[in-house]
Amino acid sequence: MASVEIAGLRKLYGDVVALSDINISIPSGSFFTLLGPSGCGKTTLLRTIAGFHNQNAGRISVDGHSIEGLPAHRRDVGMVFQDYAIFPHISVRENVAFGLKQRKISASEITKRVNDVLDVVQLGAFADRMPHELSGGQQQRVGLARAIVIRPKVLLMDEPLSNLDARLRVDLRAELRRIQRDLGITTVYVTHDQEEALAMSDTVCVMYEGVIQQAASPLDIYLRPVNKFVATFVGANNFLAINRSGSQLVLLSGGAKVLGSCVDATDIVCAIRPETILAKPGSVAPVGDEIAIPATLSNVSFVGREMEVIAVTDQGETLKSLARPDPEIIGLSQNSSVTLCVNRSDLAFFEAGDAGGCIG
Amino acid sequence: MTSLLRRFDFWTVVTGAILAVLVLLLLFPIVRVLMLSFVDADTLDWTLGNYVELFTRNYYLKGLKNTLFVGVLGTLGACLLGIPLAFFTARFHLWGRAWISTLAILVLVAPPFIGAYAWIMMLGSNGFITNFFEGVGIDIPTVYGAHGIILVFTLKFFPFVFLMTQTALMAVNKSFEDAAENLGCTPWQRFVKITLPLVFPAISTGAIICFVLSIADFGTPAILGRGFRTLSTIAFAAYRSELGGLPTMAVTVSMVMIVISMLALLAQRRILSKRRYASSLTNLPVKVKLTGWRNAAVHIFCHGVVLIAMSPTLVVVYTSFLKTKGPVFVGGFGLESYGRILRTAPEAITNSFVFATAAVVLITMFSALISYVIVRRETAASGTIDFLMMVPYLIPGVVMAIGFVTTFRSGFMSGTSAVWLLIMLYFIRRLPYGVRSTTSSLRQIKPSLEEAAINLGAPPLRAFLKVTIPLILPGLIVGSLMGFITAINELSGTLILYDSGTITMPVSIYLAVLDGEFGLAAALSTVLLLCTGLCVYLVFRFTENRDSAFL
Ligand SMILES: Nc1ncnc2c1ncn2[C@@H]1O[C@H](COP(=O)(O)OP(=O)(O)O)[C@@H](O)[C@H]1O
Ligand SMILES: [Mg+2]
Repeated sequence: MASVEIAGLRKLYGDVVALSDINISIPSGSFFTLLGPSGCGKTTLLRTIAGFHNQNAGRISVDGHSIEGLPAHRRDVGMVFQDYAIFPHISVRENVAFGLKQRKISASEITKRVNDVLDVVQLGAFADRMPHELSGGQQQRVGLARAIVIRPKVLLMDEPLSNLDARLRVDLRAELRRIQRDLGITTVYVTHDQEEALAMSDTVCVMYEGVIQQAASPLDIYLRPVNKFVATFVGANNFLAINRSGSQLVLLSGGAKVLGSCVDATDIVCAIRPETILAKPGSVAPVGDEIAIPATLSNVSFVGREMEVIAVTDQGETLKSLARPDPEIIGLSQNSSVTLCVNRSDLAFFEAGDAGGCIG
Repeated sequence: MTSLLRRFDFWTVVTGAILAVLVLLLLFPIVRVLMLSFVDADTLDWTLGNYVELFTRNYYLKGLKNTLFVGVLGTLGACLLGIPLAFFTARFHLWGRAWISTLAILVLVAPPFIGAYAWIMMLGSNGFITNFFEGVGIDIPTVYGAHGIILVFTLKFFPFVFLMTQTALMAVNKSFEDAAENLGCTPWQRFVKITLPLVFPAISTGAIICFVLSIADFGTPAILGRGFRTLSTIAFAAYRSELGGLPTMAVTVSMVMIVISMLALLAQRRILSKRRYASSLTNLPVKVKLTGWRNAAVHIFCHGVVLIAMSPTLVVVYTSFLKTKGPVFVGGFGLESYGRILRTAPEAITNSFVFATAAVVLITMFSALISYVIVRRETAASGTIDFLMMVPYLIPGVVMAIGFVTTFRSGFMSGTSAVWLLIMLYFIRRLPYGVRSTTSSLRQIKPSLEEAAINLGAPPLRAFLKVTIPLILPGLIVGSLMGFITAINELSGTLILYDSGTITMPVSIYLAVLDGEFGLAAALSTVLLLCTGLCVYLVFRFTENRDSAFL
């Protein structure tokens, strides 16, 4: 257990900037997730912590001690690899014991600790199998057991579930989190799956093009994204154009007045989460603090738990709504007119552009 | 301070050590040969005179022409046998296909000079085929001279073309051929317009290997030449006659051989760079079942080719069991020849095994380290090492040995013993076999396995020994066996370096052939063949794709 501090970290591959000015502080025992699209630098950051890359600038400290200059084999950070990296030529037991043997721990202690950890990952019965006799999920557990049995200060996991099928992923996700909590081990977890990130983490750190966009609790990330990239990448979002009408800023579609007249309208978009939009049949006036956007129905798909409504406004903007199934809407024919209703408090505003900041 | 320390990690040190060894054993001798070729043997001044002499004197020009002549025609012959053979085995149901490729591989690895003297026993002035035809009143040409050398090259080197083309043919997506047929091509047009161009890169690679080996071959022209000289025999003779003085003409001839090999390789690079066909194996080629006379003809051709190519080996083994009295065969069978090698040349056998084994131990160790540096470390140094691994293929044995002599037998290293020179020569010349096999093995291993070991606390060397080595072991073993086969069969370089105490089996065989001691030569050759065959068997055991393990 240890806290991790990363300050001003920078990493280049030739001229390619893979990480620029990374600053992170991870409290002891917490579950910290790096979330971002493929190629944003997650693996690079993780491998730099593990000591497989040398940073070009910046400092990584564990428990206040810089680990710069420590070669990878002396960093004492456990790593779970995306492709498992289970040694194919030795048994499960020997795989798990590998790190302990490097640490010159007595044979009896090794046996005990290997047995214990195999029980923790529920592989006790598989100790003497060879890796190729295990399923993907079992191999991933071996990878986890092998990394945690050495009681590392920090545990690193690079998309450990991405090679597994969907059901298993959800099961293992909960199990991973349980084990991490029980051991209280500081964990840096990499994923490009936002659901996984939100479900497991104490802190989610969203990255894009080598830059940290936002690091916050899952709820904050979802409800209060600091910029347009986070708003787009985490959860779905509709973005609507904003127009200036006299001294007022209004939505292009429907013309509802929004915001004050603080900023230049051409550079602002309005974000509305699909689940905050309620579609009503016909033309409906806004009630209370609501805004109403008239539109024509383009498609309704009923997927069981909820229905997904796609509607196009008169101005040609397409919006998506997710709501409890409503037989009236599902019964409508295509091109029927509908009204999309949203609470003003559910609107968010961003500067236009890929990673435009949040306004208001 | 810390960054300085980090720069001197384990693999950096290894990379440096490898580079040092390659510079000492590979670049030094070659540069030395290059420099000597510009030195006047008498005045020791810099001069272009050696090259002027080479390109004006008929003796050398004839040698150059002869070399290119037998090289080109031998390569052509190898293609004429290898391409149809590959096509037949890849596209037709053939009885005994595994047998054919096994024989081809045996031909490939058999000691190169055995072919030459076995053909003398068959078609020489006193050969049994010659005598047979004489008996029925027909005079057939003997095997001496250019045509004999071409015959031996053809039969010796066609397996390269065969195996490479066959591998490529098996990987041609059948959809291409189907499309051609669908567009109206007859089977023959389809073969010429689609299939042949698609496998051309493989054919050209095989052909270039044949050509380079033909240029470098010493044993065949030395045994069969009878006045027909090639550059390798000229270089050897020049070295012998210049003994005592500076071997300037020998190294000048050597340089010309190196340049020819390099030009061939560059040509090959150009051919390949313009033709890169990505192949997706969605639609594998199918084999056709032939019937009637075509079927018979194809079978006769395929089995005939490999049997004829194999015949020298069979003749050698057969001859070794003939009853002899001194150098003459007295009729009937006997073990006298084996008795004689035990009496006259036991040290040749032990020397061969000791030198080859010592070289292979080094080859194994260096192959493991070098392939790791090449595959896992993307630095300028590792790129250089990768490139240097190609150089020994291009340097004929005679040339490398002359380089060794001029480098390590002069100045402060003049005391280097023949034993060490021979071991180092075998090591550096056969190292690429080990490296290539090990490298392709290592490319199959995910780097994350080594990283996992390091992450768990193993220092780089221990991670390498405990994880990488066990995983690349099959490739390492195959590469080492290949190194062993080729090291124990080395003749041309050994002839230049050996002294009375360091004679080897190939040298003994060569000398016995020159003395007309065919029984003795046959018995020694059989011993060599036996251990070569054993190695081939072991390679088969350790490799999945047996045909390409030997290329
Ligand atoms: N060894 C490397 N050499 C050069 N560029 C690399 C290397 N590894 C990664 N990159 C580049 O760095 C960026 C970040 O890669 P990576 O950390 O693997 O992203 P992620 O894990 O988030 O998908 C990418 O643009 C990738 O192309
Ligand atoms: Mg990644």
